Amino acid sequence: MKKSLQKKHGPIDGYLFVLPVVFMMVALIAYPMLYGLYISFFNTNLVSRWNFVGLKYYIEAFQDPEFYQSVLLTFKYMILVVAGHFIVGFFLALQLNKQFKGRTAYRVVFMLPWFFPEAVIALLFTWILNPMYGVFNDILMKVGLISTNISWLGSKDLAFSSVVFVSIWKGFPLVMTMILAGLQTIPRDLYEAAEIDGVGRFAQLWYITIPSLKSIIKTLLILDCVWWFKQYTLVYTMTSGGPGTATNLISLSVYGTAFNDLRFGKGAAWGVLVFVICVLLSTVFKRVIKDED
Amino acid sequence: MKIKTERYIGRTVTYVVLTALALVILVPILWMISTSFKTEAATYNPHPTWIPDPPSLMAYDKFFNTYSFGKMLMNSCVTCIATVIICVLCSSLAGYGITRFRFHGKKALMQFLLVTQMFPAVMMVVPFYAILSKVGLTNNLVGLIVVYSATNVAFSTWMLVSYFKSIPIELDEAARVDGASSFRIFWNIILPLVIPGIVAVAIYVLFHGWNEYMYSSVIISTDDLKTITVGIISLNSQNQIKWNDLMAASAFSSLPLVVLFICLQKYFVEGMTGGAVKG
Repeated sequence: MKKSLQKKHGPIDGYLFVLPVVFMMVALIAYPMLYGLYISFFNTNLVSRWNFVGLKYYIEAFQDPEFYQSVLLTFKYMILVVAGHFIVGFFLALQLNKQFKGRTAYRVVFMLPWFFPEAVIALLFTWILNPMYGVFNDILMKVGLISTNISWLGSKDLAFSSVVFVSIWKGFPLVMTMILAGLQTIPRDLYEAAEIDGVGRFAQLWYITIPSLKSIIKTLLILDCVWWFKQYTLVYTMTSGGPGTATNLISLSVYGTAFNDLRFGKGAAWGVLVFVICVLLSTVFKRVIKDED
Repeated sequence: MKIKTERYIGRTVTYVVLTALALVILVPILWMISTSFKTEAATYNPHPTWIPDPPSLMAYDKFFNTYSFGKMLMNSCVTCIATVIICVLCSSLAGYGITRFRFHGKKALMQFLLVTQMFPAVMMVVPFYAILSKVGLTNNLVGLIVVYSATNVAFSTWMLVSYFKSIPIELDEAARVDGASSFRIFWNIILPLVIPGIVAVAIYVLFHGWNEYMYSSVIISTDDLKTITVGIISLNSQNQIKWNDLMAASAFSSLPLVVLFICLQKYFVEGMTGGAVKG
């Protein structure tokens, strides 16, 4: 079909249509990216100082415990958050796919966190978890679970767990909605046939539902991992990476290096490394999931 | 009889679990609204109450009159609307081009568009800042619009490609027989048919522009050009945080959009599943 159009109107029309996007990709994405790579070879404040240092920042990054710790922490954060998204999202999608009264209302409620800005959610939970006047401490006290106020964002272990919880709270609706959309494409007769053959609920889930959703799960897993690996706003607003380095995710490290320490070269180099990690992540996922086919 | 009871119990358990989880979502949001109607003194109560007593509109009044949030809302609106227009135009042109024509480098273009999803904002933020300061577009909404358009157009195009694919090419061919030019066919015949896709893209871009924090905080430095997200977060770093003001600002700047997104969620989901899942 496409050939017939092709013959009458050469590729020139095609090029014209994609020209604006190609221009944007080249001028506003590829060029800045290469420029970032260029900056990463310099010790620079972007204004007066431009000292060429070659691969120094890349080599240093691999010896710098701060970089390692930050990357490891980010992986730990990403794994917990994405696992949380999938557990909650999958569970809710399965529930909301059933017929029951008030289903639409529940769906809307469970989508809410998705539509609030990350900054607003972060501020809201900072307030709720406030050690002095926060409502969370008050509720726990009233129920009798704690006897003194807890500083949720002020102590190392709790700050990390709190940030993970809020990230799961914010991010699960996307996974839920996508899986729900996927569930609705699975033909009902598959389940009816399984029912007749006496296949149990969990077997149905394992042999029908999950395989049918494979491509959705794959795409979601890759996107979700990459998105939350890059996470900045939520964590920055809640803890600024603290206390100490307890929630200092890699994005926060990079940002701080560039815009607080004004070490733009080093920041750019670390930024490139984050990109490489993201690409590796998605490649690994694609490979792993493909091999099972 | 037994089956009936089992089903009844199952249904009750579903309701209980779902309601408990729904409360985990709703309670924080209600708390935001409740706090926003409190006086400042009431926020320093170690045993906070749910119903604001006395209820107060002070925080909302200060939203416009003490802080320059009204101006910041305008900045966010201007930036987001301009970005939406640019992204919709560019990505619908590209979506049509990609699905209707064969040309060299098409596959590479599609691959590149997808790879940009992997670009961490922190990698792009230093070069964007460096380039924009070179051309004098830092502390300028135009600079922000350029960055938002660049970072959103790739996924917008991906989303629209799947919509254009669903329109049969016979329509184009029929029009072509009548002698219409490629652009006329695109503009008059095909584009009106992908309006659901365009709505999806517009919402997606609006959503991302409104929520964006990192680029905006770097590129914009003066208060009167700040976007609302940056403005609200900068309140948080003050020594004495007035939580009622902060919650009023949060609620006021997000609730209208949340309602809009809920109303348009059909497009949201379609767009995401079309672009991200089938893609």
